[in-house]
Formats: sequence, structure tokens, C-alpha cells
Amino acid sequence: MLDVPLNEAVTLADLTRDPYPIYKRMRAETPVVRMAQTGRILVTRAEHTKWIKENPEIFSSDDPTTPMKPAFQAHTLMRKDGAEHRAERMAMQPAFSPKVIRSDWAALYARIAEDYVSRLPRGETVDLFTDLCAPVAARILAHMLGLEEATDAEMIRWSQALIDGAGNFGYDPKLFEVSDAANAEMNALFERIIPRHQSEPNNSAFSVMLNARNPIPLSQMYANVKIAIGGGINEPRDALATIVYGLLTNPDQFEEVKKQELWDDAFEEGVRWVAPIQVSGRRVTQDVEIGDVAVAKDERVLTIQASANRDESIYGGTGEAFDVFREKHPHQAFGSGPHHCAGAQVARRTLGQIMLPLLFDRFPNMTLSDPSAVIWSGFGFRGPLNLPVTLR
Amino acid sequence: MTKITFVQPDGASQTVEAREGDSIMQTALAYSIDGIFAECGGAMMCATCHCYIDDDRTGEASETELDMLDCAEDEVRPSSRLSCQIKVTEALDGLVVHLPVPEE
Repeated sequence: MLDVPLNEAVTLADLTRDPYPIYKRMRAETPVVRMAQTGRILVTRAEHTKWIKENPEIFSSDDPTTPMKPAFQAHTLMRKDGAEHRAERMAMQPAFSPKVIRSDWAALYARIAEDYVSRLPRGETVDLFTDLCAPVAARILAHMLGLEEATDAEMIRWSQALIDGAGNFGYDPKLFEVSDAANAEMNALFERIIPRHQSEPNNSAFSVMLNARNPIPLSQMYANVKIAIGGGINEPRDALATIVYGLLTNPDQFEEVKKQELWDDAFEEGVRWVAPIQVSGRRVTQDVEIGDVAVAKDERVLTIQASANRDESIYGGTGEAFDVFREKHPHQAFGSGPHHCAGAQVARRTLGQIMLPLLFDRFPNMTLSDPSAVIWSGFGFRGPLNLPVTLR
Repeated sequence: MTKITFVQPDGASQTVEAREGDSIMQTALAYSIDGIFAECGGAMMCATCHCYIDDDRTGEASETELDMLDCAEDEVRPSSRLSCQIKVTEALDGLVVHLPVPEE
């Protein structure tokens, strides 16, 4: 049994810029390693990340030392385990069930996607990230949560404030001021629309929670909606931008995907290649071995699903490449275990079955003339920050 | 040895030897049975290991399992189960598990 090795060289700035060569080396040399800058233990192999997530008794989500609580002004379901977590999650889950996706969200999303795509100027070069990926994700989410009154800009700003706050491991008070202000705006909106959801219930998450037979406390409904705002915009936004980038920089695959209409496969490969949520944190509840490394009770581990999704033991030597036509293997972009992404089915349907076919039906010859102009960034959450494409 | 038969919607069937203590879901994954995805790894959070089992030996679905089955992708029937919630025992020898029709 080995002690946890220490990596003093790698910084969060390195991982934010380009984590993949670092993870590749960690998988080979130090798959369980303490990162000196954060004190946390990075776990980079697929077999270990999956095992950690599927064993919540050993690896708890309940970690009072993360900045999530001040950012959301609540102890959210993301940081709970067991029955408590299940009760809060299941209170919202019916709004995201395949039945409701089919009955309510699919047609609405198609209409919204159509609307936003039709506003894009044919023949011109636009930043698809700001002109499509972000606002379309915001609009559908506003409907699914029952917050139609919120504007795209508000949803996007709130989401960013929550994410920046939740990632504020340096406890910079300025970031919490921003998230506090966003919380106040969201709370005011929620309060204002409760009567509407009580008099006209629908299948949105807020409505479903408010009108449940055994409702969870109102404070937790608010927390749940905020979690969905925090997670429901940047992830589909980044996934869409990543998939479009992957296709446009691989013209042979792009042609074949269009010909065979393999949009679902393009979706799965995009989120495997660059998982929008790259990292998850867990608290170790007992002395345990991860592989042959001894990890003590009360340590904090970070599972790196970004790395797991390129693990050589699953993908051989080709995991670093975007390849829609690779042999199919389960990936961990949506996680595993009790906190498996509640929005996985929604994301698959809205992006894979509606947005991608619609976007490339309208602009089948879209090009990205300068891929090097695209800036990728992010450690916890990752994706392109811009996507200058020409719409043809 | 416990034999479990998985039947696909088109009638194709495969009988496998299940390891005691595994769940039906784990058995399906071990033999790469089509139609069982088990994305959440058995935490009863995803309903992607949904199957139909018409056999008293597997008991009844719990309240929690029924709630999750409501979120299944495919048609839910009285015989619907989450295969992660059924442990393989010798008593289940000969069990027949039907996979759902992918809906579109």
C-alpha cells in the first residue's frame, strides 16, 4: 500500500488552460495524487472514478468545506446523501422524465430552437456561443423550471453567478456579493410566481414541487431550482459548442454524420470528448484504498470524469480524439451513482434529437475557418468560450 | 448455478449463468445484454435498467422503485422492474427477463 504521492508542479491555472495532457500523464504515472495547491486528491482513472461515485457511504457528497453553501445560500441536494438527497431530487424529477419531455418539452424546444436558429444571419460569421448556445439553453430551461418570466440574460447571469460562487474555493467575498445579489433576484421572482403555479399547475419543476402531495420545504424547492439554473445552462451550452467544434474540425466525420443523421452519436461523443462537468468532489468517510494508494478518512477527493472519459483502458490510444465513429463504450460525462445527472435524458433529446439536426439542416455547410481562434477554458466546468462560425 | 434468460423485443433470447449476489442488472452488463444501460450504476436514479419480469419469485417493487419507474423511457407495465433492484439467488434459476422496446 502506498502513501498518496504529492504533485507540487501542477496548478489550477494549468488545468484550466489545458488539463488533458496532464491527466494523461497522471493516469499513467500517479492515478491517485494529491495536488499541492488545493490539498485535494485527484483521481483520474475511469475504474476508480466510477467506483467512488457508486459508493456514497465511503465517498460522501456532504462536504461542509465547499463554497457551494454560501453561493446558493442553502445546503443543496448536490451536497446531500441517502434518503434526504433522494427526496429532494425525486421532488423535481417528474419534470424531467421521458414522458414529460415527450409531452411538454420536445415540441416547445423544437419551437424555441427554430426561433433562435432562424434569427441567425445566413452567410455571415457569428459567435455561435453567445448568439445561440447560451440563449437557447437559457430559454428552454426557463420553461422547464417554470420561470418563463425570467429573460435569457437574467438566466445566464444568475447561472454564472451561482457557478462562480460555487467554485469560489478562495472564498473571495466579491464573488459571494455577486451570488448574493443573484439569489435575491431569484428569490423575488420565485415568490412572485408561486400564485401562478398554484392556480395554473403545469409540468415545470417549480410547479411539480409546489403542487406535490407531500411537498418538500419551500427553501429546498428554491435551492433545487437554483441548482437547475446553475447546472442547466452552461452544460447544454458547452456541450453544443463542443459538439459543433468537433464536427467542424473533422470534416470527414461531419459529412458522414449528416449523411447518416448520426446526431445522437455526435452528442455522446462530444460530451465524452470534453465533459462539460469535468470534476466532482467527495469527502472520504473512512480509511480506504483507491487502487494501491491508501487514503485516510476526512480527505477530499476530486473525481476527474474528464480524464476517465479518455482512459486508455477503455478507449485504447484514441481517447484524446473526437471520433463519432469510435466503438461505443459507456462514458462518465453524466456521472454515476446517486448523483447521476438528472438532466441526462433532457440533454440527449434537446441537443441530439432537436438542436443538432435543426441547426445543420439550416446551415449544412457551416465552417469554422480558424479553429485556433476558439478559446477553451475550465477546470471544474469546461468548454469553448467562443465559436466564430460562418453560417452557410 | 442460476440461469437467467434475457429476451429482446424481437424475440431473440440469450440464457446466461448469473453470479450469485450480483443484481440482474449487473448480470446483464457482464454479458453485454442489449437494452440494459444502467447509467447510474444501481443507485435507483435513472431507470435505464428497466425490464419486464412476470415472476412471483422476484417479489414486488418498492415504493421508491415505482417512483423511479415512472421516469422510465419505455412503456411501464405491471411487470416493470428496475433490474438493479433484484439480487440473483439460486431460487431465481430459470428466470425470464424481457427487455423493453426502445421508444421513438
